[in-house]
Amino acid sequence: MPADGQSQRAARQHVNRREFLKRAGWGSLGITGFLVGTGGSRGFAHPPSPFPTWDPASAKSPRRGGILTRASAWDPPVLDPRLTNSVGLFQIATLTYNRLLRYLFADEAKNNSDLTLTGDLAEAWEGSPDFKTWTFNLRQGVKWHNVPPLNGRELVADDIKYCYEAYAKEGVQSFTFQEIDGMETPDKYSIRIHLKVPNTMFPQNVAEAVTVIFPREVLEEDGDLKKRMIGTGPFILKEHDRKVKVVLTRNPDYFDKGYPYINEYRILSTPDAATRLAAFRTGQSDILVLQSLADVETVRKTNPTAVVEEVANVLAPFGLALRQDKPPFNDVRVRRAISMAIDRQKQVNTLYEGHAILGWGIPYFYWQEELPSAPDLGPYWQYRPEDAKKLLAEAGYPHGFETTLFYYEYFPQMTSQIQLVQQDLKRNLNIELKITKNDYTTYFGRYAEGKWEGTAWGFQTGYAVSLDERSYQYMHSKSPKNYFHVADPVIDELTTALRQTPDRAEQRAITKKIVEREHDQVLRMWMPYDAGFYLWQPHLRTIGQLDLRGNFGYGSSTLARLWIDK
Amino acid sequence: MHKYIIRRLLLAIPVMLLSSLIVFGLMRVMPGDALTALMAESGNVSERELQKLRKDLGLDLPYYEQYLIWLWQMVSLNPGYSIFTSEPIPVALKKSIPVTIELTLLAMILGLVIAIPIGVLSATRQDKPSDYVGRLVAISGLSLPDFWLGTLVITFAAIWFSWIPPLGYASVWESPWTNLQQFLLPAAVLGFRLSAATMRMTRSTLLEVLREDYVRTAWSKGLGERVIIYKHALKNALIPVVTIVGGQLGTLLAGTVIVETIFALPGMGRLTVEAILYRDYPIVQTNVMLVAGTLVMLNLLVDLTYAWLDPRIHYQ
Repeated sequence: MPADGQSQRAARQHVNRREFLKRAGWGSLGITGFLVGTGGSRGFAHPPSPFPTWDPASAKSPRRGGILTRASAWDPPVLDPRLTNSVGLFQIATLTYNRLLRYLFADEAKNNSDLTLTGDLAEAWEGSPDFKTWTFNLRQGVKWHNVPPLNGRELVADDIKYCYEAYAKEGVQSFTFQEIDGMETPDKYSIRIHLKVPNTMFPQNVAEAVTVIFPREVLEEDGDLKKRMIGTGPFILKEHDRKVKVVLTRNPDYFDKGYPYINEYRILSTPDAATRLAAFRTGQSDILVLQSLADVETVRKTNPTAVVEEVANVLAPFGLALRQDKPPFNDVRVRRAISMAIDRQKQVNTLYEGHAILGWGIPYFYWQEELPSAPDLGPYWQYRPEDAKKLLAEAGYPHGFETTLFYYEYFPQMTSQIQLVQQDLKRNLNIELKITKNDYTTYFGRYAEGKWEGTAWGFQTGYAVSLDERSYQYMHSKSPKNYFHVADPVIDELTTALRQTPDRAEQRAITKKIVEREHDQVLRMWMPYDAGFYLWQPHLRTIGQLDLRGNFGYGSSTLARLWIDK
Repeated sequence: MHKYIIRRLLLAIPVMLLSSLIVFGLMRVMPGDALTALMAESGNVSERELQKLRKDLGLDLPYYEQYLIWLWQMVSLNPGYSIFTSEPIPVALKKSIPVTIELTLLAMILGLVIAIPIGVLSATRQDKPSDYVGRLVAISGLSLPDFWLGTLVITFAAIWFSWIPPLGYASVWESPWTNLQQFLLPAAVLGFRLSAATMRMTRSTLLEVLREDYVRTAWSKGLGERVIIYKHALKNALIPVVTIVGGQLGTLLAGTVIVETIFALPGMGRLTVEAILYRDYPIVQTNVMLVAGTLVMLNLLVDLTYAWLDPRIHYQ
């Protein structure tokens, strides 16, 4: 799933139903593609929208109180953070629990791409010279929620140790925490973590939304964390009625004094996109995610005072995954030919109304200042069908070949996007792509467990902010999160080196090399994407959207700083 | 009559057994399982760990063993736990069944309240403007899919009246007014479809009955129109209507899936669909068996209603 991907998917369901109705008269996307042809700008695929990507914190004095309500597409599948990385869970868990470290909140950050780390449960941290040992000094006086069995007990270093050991033992976080060789707690408020291999970016990894600290008492009493959610966070879970609502109430003993501002946060389970839109229009929901500018304008006709923020596009979460350890995709010429035969700009123009990025995998700000334009993505990201044809012939496939693709429709546009790829490959390379649409569980089972041949419509997971996660963990051949089956010794070397490089400028240079290598070898064939727009009711303050985190999915913790001006 | 009922109930046993086999088999044929769904967005869980979790959940047992265990649980009225949430299934059902029952009943009441008078009006004013309007309404109801109508209703309610039903769910006992607001629109959407089929059937059967000899006799005796239609004709015309309504219950239950999703109601439909998507076998199997059982009982009830409506019908 992409960053806040479910919200985007949800928004797209709405958009696409509308889009579908709007475009039904066109007959089909094939005709759309024919009509639009290959026209459009080749240089830059992301014209600016009239809406800002950053809403600075209000200069007014914050007011306390009020209820924030959001109609949400997400339901937590389970409450146990060891068992899922679902955004449905972490939209709540990041508000009830804390992590050792966190990224800046909306009122602290300079802009949406400010990824400065700060303390959450820890107030200071430092690495050993070899970056194999990290020491975290905890805040004193942090209390667990004042509900049984914790009853406001103080959080101590042993809690962190217990929690990280539990993560390493089983569940979805085990890969991150199995990198820990051992832990010591020299005193109540410090923990020393020894890693098996050096990692300069370990602090970023323990700032990820999914590394929340849970209490040992609940796990020991219940045997799991499925029934209760007791943490140290700004909100206390007051009510969880599955498929109806989640109610979070202000934690009066929160260690970050004065926060949160709002008294209650209600998340109303609303699976249908049209209903979420209607809820925003009628004021039943304070927040809405939409995909297209046209949709934003439609909503502003009924809600002219709604505040709109464009979600900055920093990466593409979806792309064509090739079984590159097997023929024909183990031949780089085949991969390059396929990439050059796909007209990404056409996808941008037709599916995203001209407002999308061409697609790359590692957040751009980790390797360059400006949003990449087409030339930044290298020769194989350009649409060059003739060169593609020659290259495929050189690779021994002058008449093309047949292959398969399976996917899950995260949002209806995705089907159209895949069909455009299918048409491009057929027309330009005579590659016959047989497409199978799976339901989510089937797709995920095949994709993530690697039990597939040919091609798949791949994704990268949504919660990750850290460069380590986006590089080493997603691309190293030995990483279990290497969904795209990247098996490139140069990438292995570079991503390993990146982990051992503390200097930001050097990290940036290495990351640039990783991206260039990825594009040169076409290891992951990213496709155009647009993250859409957030709409807020006008009385909400401190709503700056934060890159890769958003404000109410994995990045919910920033809601501790939101306030209601009415 | 008693013998008939007992025979029908005995016949229900193989039907239910067959249903159980079908639903159990279909769920196992579908690729993936609850763990795959649970670990979604993670992908970093080793095969060894997955095996361990599968063992904990009993998913590693041979299918026949899983089936027999589940069958025993159903017979002993203890359907077990949701694989996904570990919530006891009776708890999940206790929350969702009242929602679906209320929605279905309200939809049925609204459907019948609309359908029968319009059907009667259409039949008694055949080929008059009111008949054409009635037929148009009926055809619309049959043609418009629930998801489209539901979306339209909620969208235009928001745009025109700045109002939609309050999101969430309030039980009728806790807050009757909120509950009514939450259920009225979805029930109307659901009932509209039911009313269409019922309306058409009422019209056509009533037209047929109105041409029967005994009705002609009633006219010749000088009885009033109201007495002839409502006392003599309509009761006999209702037998096929009852069949239609009984048959429509299955459609109605299927329609709740869409309507519950659009109007965010936590009923059986949403519970089942979510369970299918997440391969929560026990929930799907239990829900399907409940629906199968309900339909078997309703069919029996419909058959018994025939005898009540038409004294000439006897069951032996």
